[in-house]
Amino acid sequence: MPEPSGPDPITGKSWSTIMLVSTFLLMLTVAWSLWSEFFGLRPWRAYQRDFASAYQDFLGKQIAAQTKAEAAVYSSPEYKKLKADLDAAQQSAKPKDDEFARRIALADLQRTAITPAFQSARGQVGALIYQVEIIPESNKSARDSAKKDVDGAKAETYEVEYPLGDGKTEIRKMNYDQLNAGFTDLMALKASLVAQQAEVDSSVKIAQIKLNEFVKEKLPGPSAAGLQNLRNAMSTFKIDMHQINVNPPGAMLNYVGGIGLVDRCQSCHIAMDPLVVPVTMTLTKADLGRTMAASHDAPFTSHPDQDLFNWHPLEKFGCSPCHGGNGRALDSAERGHGRYEHWLWPLNYRENFTAGCQNCHASDMVTEHAEVLNRGRSLYRTRGCIGCHKYSGFDDENERLTTTRQQIMQLESTKHDYSIEIPRLNHQADIAPDNDTAHKLNARATSLTIESSKIDAQLQTLESVSSSLMRESKRVGPDLKEVRMKLRKEWIPVWLTQTHTFRPTTKMPQFRLEQDEVQKIAAFIWQQGIAGQKLNPVAPGNAGHGKELVESRGCLSCHSIGEDSKTIGGDFAANLSRIGEKENYEYLVRWVHNPRERTLPYCPFEKKDITPEDYKKHRLPFQFDLDHSRCPNDGHQLEVQQPTIMPSLRLSDEDSRDVATYLMAQKHTNATYPPAPYMDDPKLAAAGRALVQHYGCAGCHEITGLEDEGRIGTELTNEGSKPIERLDFARYTEDAKRGMLINGKTSPRGPWYDSKGFFEAKLNDPAVFDHAKFKPDPMDRLRMPAPNLTDPKTHQIDKNDVDALVTFLLGSVDPQLPTEYMYRPADRRHAIQEGWWIVTKYNCIGCHQIGIDQKTTMQDLPFYQAENKANLPPVLTSEGARVNPEWLKRFLANPSLSTTDTNKNGVRNYLQVRMPTFSLADNEIRKLVLFFEALSSQEEPYIAPKSESLTNTETTFARALFTNPAAPCLKCHATGDPAHDKNATAPNFTLAAERLREPWAERWVTDPAKIIPGTSMPSGLFRREGDRWVFTGAIPSEFRSYAGDHANLMVRYLMGITPDEQRRLQGRSSGGGASPPGK
Amino acid sequence: MWWDWHQIWEVASAPDNVPIVALLFFIPFYCWLAFREAKKNDELIAKLEADPAAAKTAHRKTQPYEKGWDREVHTWPYLMRVELLAAILVTVLLMVWSLTLNAPLEEPSNPNVTMNPAKAPWYFLGLQEMLVYFDPWIAGVVMPTIIIVGLMAIPYIDENPLGNGYYTYRQRKFSIWTFLLGFIGLWVLMIVIGTFIRGPGWMWFWPTQTWDASRVDFAVNRNLDDVLRIDGAWMAHLMPGSWKPFSGLIARGIFGIFPVTFYFLASGYFMNWLANRTAFSRKIYKRMSLLQTVTMLMLLALMLSLPLKILLRLVFRIHYVWETPWFSV
Repeated sequence: MPEPSGPDPITGKSWSTIMLVSTFLLMLTVAWSLWSEFFGLRPWRAYQRDFASAYQDFLGKQIAAQTKAEAAVYSSPEYKKLKADLDAAQQSAKPKDDEFARRIALADLQRTAITPAFQSARGQVGALIYQVEIIPESNKSARDSAKKDVDGAKAETYEVEYPLGDGKTEIRKMNYDQLNAGFTDLMALKASLVAQQAEVDSSVKIAQIKLNEFVKEKLPGPSAAGLQNLRNAMSTFKIDMHQINVNPPGAMLNYVGGIGLVDRCQSCHIAMDPLVVPVTMTLTKADLGRTMAASHDAPFTSHPDQDLFNWHPLEKFGCSPCHGGNGRALDSAERGHGRYEHWLWPLNYRENFTAGCQNCHASDMVTEHAEVLNRGRSLYRTRGCIGCHKYSGFDDENERLTTTRQQIMQLESTKHDYSIEIPRLNHQADIAPDNDTAHKLNARATSLTIESSKIDAQLQTLESVSSSLMRESKRVGPDLKEVRMKLRKEWIPVWLTQTHTFRPTTKMPQFRLEQDEVQKIAAFIWQQGIAGQKLNPVAPGNAGHGKELVESRGCLSCHSIGEDSKTIGGDFAANLSRIGEKENYEYLVRWVHNPRERTLPYCPFEKKDITPEDYKKHRLPFQFDLDHSRCPNDGHQLEVQQPTIMPSLRLSDEDSRDVATYLMAQKHTNATYPPAPYMDDPKLAAAGRALVQHYGCAGCHEITGLEDEGRIGTELTNEGSKPIERLDFARYTEDAKRGMLINGKTSPRGPWYDSKGFFEAKLNDPAVFDHAKFKPDPMDRLRMPAPNLTDPKTHQIDKNDVDALVTFLLGSVDPQLPTEYMYRPADRRHAIQEGWWIVTKYNCIGCHQIGIDQKTTMQDLPFYQAENKANLPPVLTSEGARVNPEWLKRFLANPSLSTTDTNKNGVRNYLQVRMPTFSLADNEIRKLVLFFEALSSQEEPYIAPKSESLTNTETTFARALFTNPAAPCLKCHATGDPAHDKNATAPNFTLAAERLREPWAERWVTDPAKIIPGTSMPSGLFRREGDRWVFTGAIPSEFRSYAGDHANLMVRYLMGITPDEQRRLQGRSSGGGASPPGK
Repeated sequence: MWWDWHQIWEVASAPDNVPIVALLFFIPFYCWLAFREAKKNDELIAKLEADPAAAKTAHRKTQPYEKGWDREVHTWPYLMRVELLAAILVTVLLMVWSLTLNAPLEEPSNPNVTMNPAKAPWYFLGLQEMLVYFDPWIAGVVMPTIIIVGLMAIPYIDENPLGNGYYTYRQRKFSIWTFLLGFIGLWVLMIVIGTFIRGPGWMWFWPTQTWDASRVDFAVNRNLDDVLRIDGAWMAHLMPGSWKPFSGLIARGIFGIFPVTFYFLASGYFMNWLANRTAFSRKIYKRMSLLQTVTMLMLLALMLSLPLKILLRLVFRIHYVWETPWFSV
């Protein structure tokens, strides 16, 4: 039977084919891994190669252009003259210079000749001295014999072939001491020769510097030769990783185990390397012939703001601490930029670049070079975000006030305890069994008495702190205690439902309220208002005059008026267009007259408004203001002002009436308000209280009974560091992770499941994460109201506002950098930092220019164009150098500089626009004065320089100058004479003595345009003659011999001028009507 | 959300899960391969056994053999070349893997935030899944120890000398079924459940269901004593006063012994019945000492307890069968 059989299944088969194929596969894989190692994981190599060639082409073109420009400069007569000067100087210095050079060379030769012998002698002697030193002093004989060895070595002579110049030499025999002396003498000789040579060459050096400066001025940027060097360097450019190593001790940069920062960003962003593109150059993609947009493959732009490197040197800061991103990763742009799920610090997107500044500049209100961030901070503060969301450093007066009050209460209770304890101790001492115990108890009672008086001192300080804080503490929204006096009742529910329709520019966010909630809230607010206080009826005023006042007094640098395209004015405060529909005329009159005026003072200790009855009980007059701020019941500091930013413009009663009448006319005549009888229903009000607390109304408004409500929102100080798991994307979680936007479109930047995505979505629509949620009870819903970020022009949410706020929040991170990186200066810069908080708080910058490039709201108003520019409020860029800080303190406290005649400006009486009274707290005045001084680099405290009093001759001469037709000072400067002052456009000289600083005044009279460009004060009154200023007009002959400084004389004279003197001189100069020179 | 294919792709494409996805393909393939070879060999063995003449030429009649085949094969080159080939192919695989996928590293851990779902490495997902069915002491310590000890004990229990060095089903039915149930049916299946089924909150998500972190589930799992209302009330009457508060605890502790004992007796009886089903297995079973038998029965009973517990838990919502203050099963 034939059996089925075959070859053996194991030995019968050849495996060569599969072996070959596998081996081939292995080789392929190895090749792949090599490619990946050298190219795949190193995309920057391709970038660098590409850059090197493109940059060389660019430099080639630059060199050609630069060479041409240089040739033009070299052939100019100025250059030729300077070059000739240089040559001449070199020629004249040459013989002496050569002689010195010869002598220096000889000294060098001589030193070289003795050096070997000197070194070996010194070495031998040194070794032998060491041998002496290691023998104990007690072993005298051994020491002596060793010392002899030293002497022997010192006496040993060396033969030296000593050069004598002109190639001649002689053989000298020198021992150790001679060699030593010779060596030091030669060193000294050379030093003196070099100094003498430099002196001979000094004229050459000066000529060279002049030439260099001329060339630098005519040809900024790198020279053609420099560019050529750069190009040569690029032609042999080595493709290599470029990295910055920062390793400060204890640094947690890049947050990786404390080993410091390694940023390799420049490996791709090669043009950011200052060794490749010098900081004096800028380079854009366009320069290299790349398209600017959408070309992701050419990171060849130099840093767009190179000034920043002056304060943030790359070798200290690297890139990623400011920009984010994974500074070490190089294998792809995505990795390097850290834009993947697990890198916690991704590169900030372009629109949020300045978020990085906030890392270290968190204590700034205004950070230079960071416009977007500044805008975000300012929005955060002014739009009332701060009313719900605490942010460390932002408007924390209320928190500090609470702490102070708690301290006060604690101390008071301690004091009370002592007052019980002391008599008890005394009584116990009386009945003590022995003297010792009695003494001890008495001593204890005495010490408690002293302690108690110490507490009094502490309490006084705390009271003044709390009074100051109370003045500083402001609320974003208006006081709601006085609604019954202030508002039309029916308007309140309408406002709550149509906040942004009624006033499209309002800061108040739009709440999402059900109809019944609106009624409850309105009823609560209405019924919590102070009742029973009636304002006296006031007759209507002159609306036309009121309009003039609104436009001229400066209201519009904060407020705007007019609707839609007709709006003019600032956006710092409310738009007044429809104010007539809601306001009560009498209240408005009071408000315009003094917005800080309050109906009833509030006692934060008793937690109630103090009524006239309270005053009556203690037989006190019902009077409360900043000077009468003690509570009649318990003596604590009262809240005596409205917590509003709005200052008092010190208008007269008639003016206030006129303004109020004009404002009352600002309304839609066809607006109707349905009656709201439910607002008097106490049941609704009771329900409304819970709602008002729930929605956090008291964060921005002062409401009776809710004065101490805290902030209801999340603290945002470190919101940017919040782990993504803590941000609830709710039903949008999956969409966000997959890059699908809320509107159903694909997100251009891919997944938006990150802080940026959350903040943007939330700011665009705070209710967004309630989408698809089942929350029948409105109290369960997200309560954040919609902030008003609508651009009034387009009626769309302003993307720039959202970006600014998102930038601010993204930058608000846990400090990751070492503390020495934080910008918390202790010097003048600190005063500047603090000052900006106040200056922006009160919108000083709406009227005054304080920063060099800063714009004011007022300068854009239609009333201050062309020749009316002279009527703008003063520019304060040099205020700190200009005025005496003592005077400034007084002025800030009371800008009218008078207690009786307050309806005017203290200094610039001639200006229509009014410097208002802000009732600043002492603390704020202090900070402001220091701020202005710091901005002008002034030392604090100020010590006035000693001023020489004028001699009789000098006085006569000064009078002559003062009344000179070439300098008709009193033509513009006010004198106090109403007839004259009608046309005045400059301050009264009699203020100068206490107000101005002499050095500034001197700079001012000689060249005012340098301090404030565009000032109407004429320049060129004086000219420089040697080291003194001389008057440019005709000088009376008898004074021509005066050798002093005319400007200084003038200033000294003005600092002492009296009103009488001024009046006398006014008559004299009135004839001289010549136009001022130099205008 | 159902029919969310993106969700499956997200899980399957995660670099973490590459080995498990590979497992899904490799295990069926190798099972199929093994059974195909086993079938061929079993046929050869059957033929050899049926033909005493041919058996004489064979080395041994229990091994697959055909006329013309070598009686013995040298290690070199015949074994070594297979190993070399395997080494090359595995090297290629590892290199391609490392070139195409980066290590699945994540951000530095934040002790304040727990990731959801928090999953063990893929090879431990089976153990993590076991935590659903037993308390941590049993699932995390006792069971893994018994699994390892049990695996080590296999050579000492196995009295079947056949099946060395070639694929066969006929000669090792019992071992193969034990393996299929224990490794593929339990271990691999639990890893697959842990990877593909368990989402945020360790909740059960069917494939194509979106892993919604905010999903809310309502499920009550009760202990067996709860179901039977064992609260120790009647026992309290029999106890001294100071013991009374613990009567429920004690009653439950005593109660649990009964179902567990019953299970072990029943499963022992069942396994004994199973082992005596064929003449061949009876023969092998007879060879085993008492210690070997008891060890094997214990291990098998423990192994079978897992699917039983899964069933009780997922279908009957039974949390624990036996609850004591120290351990619960």
